[in-house]
Amino acid sequence: MLNQDEDAELVRLAQDGDVRAFEALVVKYQRRLAKHVSRYLRSADDIEDVVQEAFIRAYRGLPSFRRDSAFYTWLYRIATNCAFSFRARTPWLERLEEPDSDEERPGHEPSTSEGEDPERRLMANQIAESVRRGLDRLPAELLEAITLYEVEGKSYAEIAQMAGIPIGTVRTRIFRARAALAKRLKPLLDPQRDRRW
Amino acid sequence: MSSLDVSLLLDGQLNAEECRAALQACATDAGRRDDFTLYALVGDVLRGNSFPDDGFSRRIFARLQSEGVKMEPGYDPLGDERP
Repeated sequence: MLNQDEDAELVRLAQDGDVRAFEALVVKYQRRLAKHVSRYLRSADDIEDVVQEAFIRAYRGLPSFRRDSAFYTWLYRIATNCAFSFRARTPWLERLEEPDSDEERPGHEPSTSEGEDPERRLMANQIAESVRRGLDRLPAELLEAITLYEVEGKSYAEIAQMAGIPIGTVRTRIFRARAALAKRLKPLLDPQRDRRW
Repeated sequence: MSSLDVSLLLDGQLNAEECRAALQACATDAGRRDDFTLYALVGDVLRGNSFPDDGFSRRIFARLQSEGVKMEPGYDPLGDERP
């Protein structure tokens, strides 16, 4: 479950012309959106084209986003439309099965194709394995916090209540878990990636 | 601006002023920018969205710049709903 308000400030800043805020939203949602689009398209290049188009349409349309839904919900709908249009324009495309209606909603991302690119698949597997090993080494209280937040979709306030700790402790536990896992991932990634903002 | 602030930025836990400061830190400090990117990746991997980031957002912004894409007050990206 996504927190309805979690992107409110970034969206507001982006609508006021702060391009850095929109970049942050791209970095935050690019993979989630790619995963969603990969349900409709097989080729990694096609998936990237559609996700790019979705973000570009979202940027152009930012003034029309009224914040009466979560930003990701709006972005998800844009990306779905882009994927459907792409499929309509490319009838020779190898089609995937239509998703079950229960699965077609933001926040539910099935484990389907990553775009059948062997290099990307290898990298994805290395990243996943590194995180898995990192999770095994996390202290239990950090594992609980990061899992409740990232996997279970609980809010900071809910985690504080569930774990019986102050919200400030939730903040630091999530941060410490992320920092520990990020440290393991850093050597795996291209040092030239995303050098702007 | 600390790595903790970047983690809070990702989660929408900062107010507008703090948000601007964190974005500025990400714009000027490669370490903070890496933090944001890696923390977002960690969350995605935990949720099973491990599609690798190999310059994807950089290419999006290159396209935004090369095509001179601007915000358009009258444009509704949902105007053309599913065919």
